[in-house]
Amino acid sequence: MSSGHAAKTPGKLSESLGERKSRRIGWLLTGPAQALLLFIVVFPTIVTVYVSLTLWTPLDGQPWTQAYRWFAWFDNYVEIFHDAKLFSALGRTLFMVAIAVALEFALGFGLALLFVDRFRFRPIYYTLILMPMMVVPAVAGYMFLMLFQSTGPINQIISAVSGQTFDPTWLANERLAVSAVITAEVWQWTPMVFLILLAGLMSVPEDQVKAARLLGANELQILRRISIPRIKVVIAIALGIRLIEGLKLFDIMYIMTRGGPGVATETLSLYIYKRTYGDLEWAYVSALGLTIVLAMSLVALCLLELAKRRGRQRPAGV
Amino acid sequence: MASIELIDIKKTFGTVVAVDNLSLEIKDSEFVALLGPSGCGKSTTMNMIAGIESPTSGEIRFDGRDISNLPANKRGIGFVFQNYAIFTHLSVRENLAFALRVRATPQRDIDKRVADIAELMRLTNKLDWPSSRLSVNEMQKLAIGRSAIAKPAIFLLDEPLSNVDAAFRAFMRTELKHLQHTLNQTMVYVTHDQIEAMSLADRIAVIDKGVLQQFGTPEQVYNTPANKFVANFMGSPSMNLIEATVNGEGSLLSLHFGAAGAIPVAPTSILCSHLQACRTRNILFGVRPEDIALSAPDDPRPGLVMQASFVEPIGPRTTIHFGGSVPALKVITQKRFVTELGEAHKLLMPEDKCHLFDPASGKAIRAEVAHVDA
Repeated sequence: MSSGHAAKTPGKLSESLGERKSRRIGWLLTGPAQALLLFIVVFPTIVTVYVSLTLWTPLDGQPWTQAYRWFAWFDNYVEIFHDAKLFSALGRTLFMVAIAVALEFALGFGLALLFVDRFRFRPIYYTLILMPMMVVPAVAGYMFLMLFQSTGPINQIISAVSGQTFDPTWLANERLAVSAVITAEVWQWTPMVFLILLAGLMSVPEDQVKAARLLGANELQILRRISIPRIKVVIAIALGIRLIEGLKLFDIMYIMTRGGPGVATETLSLYIYKRTYGDLEWAYVSALGLTIVLAMSLVALCLLELAKRRGRQRPAGV
Repeated sequence: MASIELIDIKKTFGTVVAVDNLSLEIKDSEFVALLGPSGCGKSTTMNMIAGIESPTSGEIRFDGRDISNLPANKRGIGFVFQNYAIFTHLSVRENLAFALRVRATPQRDIDKRVADIAELMRLTNKLDWPSSRLSVNEMQKLAIGRSAIAKPAIFLLDEPLSNVDAAFRAFMRTELKHLQHTLNQTMVYVTHDQIEAMSLADRIAVIDKGVLQQFGTPEQVYNTPANKFVANFMGSPSMNLIEATVNGEGSLLSLHFGAAGAIPVAPTSILCSHLQACRTRNILFGVRPEDIALSAPDDPRPGLVMQASFVEPIGPRTTIHFGGSVPALKVITQKRFVTELGEAHKLLMPEDKCHLFDPASGKAIRAEVAHVDA
């Protein structure tokens, strides 16, 4: 469109011709990308919305195009609010995410503080710390599945250190399974929080830290009055990303516990997975999926807005 | 309030020696300038006084007490950075209050002292501004005020005027002098600008390549430079330094300047006693451009007859360059001196204003020991 405006200046003839031409070229150039987007985003979304408004399941023996025969308006959406299992899965997820993100933040921030200063072999430690993030989550799941076996290395080490036989079956015990799963999650994602926070801390101007120190501030005061206020937005971003990612927690649980024992480690994603492949309730799952996307978008929006406002905020007076 | 003593301070970064066995004694409430070209180690010296960097060896004392192991935040020093290091995420008020807040000062005292210092720094009407919106000149004042509020006994300023415009720099020079008298603090001021150092400091420490060259009052440093470096560094345009040979014996001496001619030295002059202290026949002869008087070529007094090769009129004074390549001399005439290029003049050099240096070591050659602390 802007090229159309630009073309108006030379003359009347080239004006209409140029505008039409450049528009056509624009369509041609972006056409394939638009078609692809249409196919991979818009089409599935429409199908999901369509199916979510019916009570159709593949067990009916009809293709999804025939789903209108079981049209049920918003029945699925209403059911979401009566789904007790869903809410307990949501509660478990939030609980695990809260603990995991808190631990990831504490560890990540602590490590980031250590890595702000240079020290011997820093690049080597740095690489080592980032490693877990590079591991495929399913592989991480397998690693911890093996580590937490009752005859696995973790129990062996605890036995060796304490001198007593220690052989609980971690993944079969409701409480222990939750902590094992959180451990795996924290192991894998602390590096990411570390990386984001370190980038933030490195951006705090060194001379300001020096100035604060010379004005009599100790390290804690420098952190509280200079570093943290300066990286508020970065902290919000790190927490936001982990929170949203945490709500999608799936791979590690699926490999380690399949949500068990019972439903002790069944997260939102695992619950949806079970409803999809166990119960084949595709219409309900569609409705649920759309609702979750909507809810998460809202959370992300709030976080971004908060970060923006914090960033713009004028410093508080005395 | 506080004296500073540096005893054989040495600082190395890997194989680079930034500061080499520097000893300096700064008296209580004295204004000392550390002067030298960029990279001479003056800022490193300052950072070691502040505690930002620790010396590789040597000792730093405040009021006779060794503080080498005292962390920076415990030294009670006011420090103004070259780029001010204003906390841009805080308001002007909070910047000023920072040093008091970290000392858990009661709010009532904070309010009062912030108001006082803002008044002194003329920032009262900007107190609630975000500090990022201040002009460079105001940031400079804020940086000084922020450090001054905790009433430090020692105030360190690292090239504080290098980023501000010329008019404000002149203004700030008087302000700083005034401030030092008001606060009665020991001030150490790092600069590469000799005019700043001369106009502000009680004493100047000239540093080059990490080594202290001379430490003395501006007059001492200017009038009796300890060596070639100080002579050359102080003054603009710098001192004329030309090679000369000493002829004669006893008190009948003369100086020969190659093609430019020779000057007989009066037997009773101070220059003669300086020359008698010389152990070599070849010396480096120095004279400041403003100390040379110009006269007609047929003037009977001893001097060098040279031709004007280049004239630089700079406002109230004119710098005239004499001679082609070797030797070349600069002369400053106070009034607008009119001369033609190629015109010959006699250059008269008052014997008490001449300086002699050893060409090998660069050290000043003087009959009596002048104020040389280096």
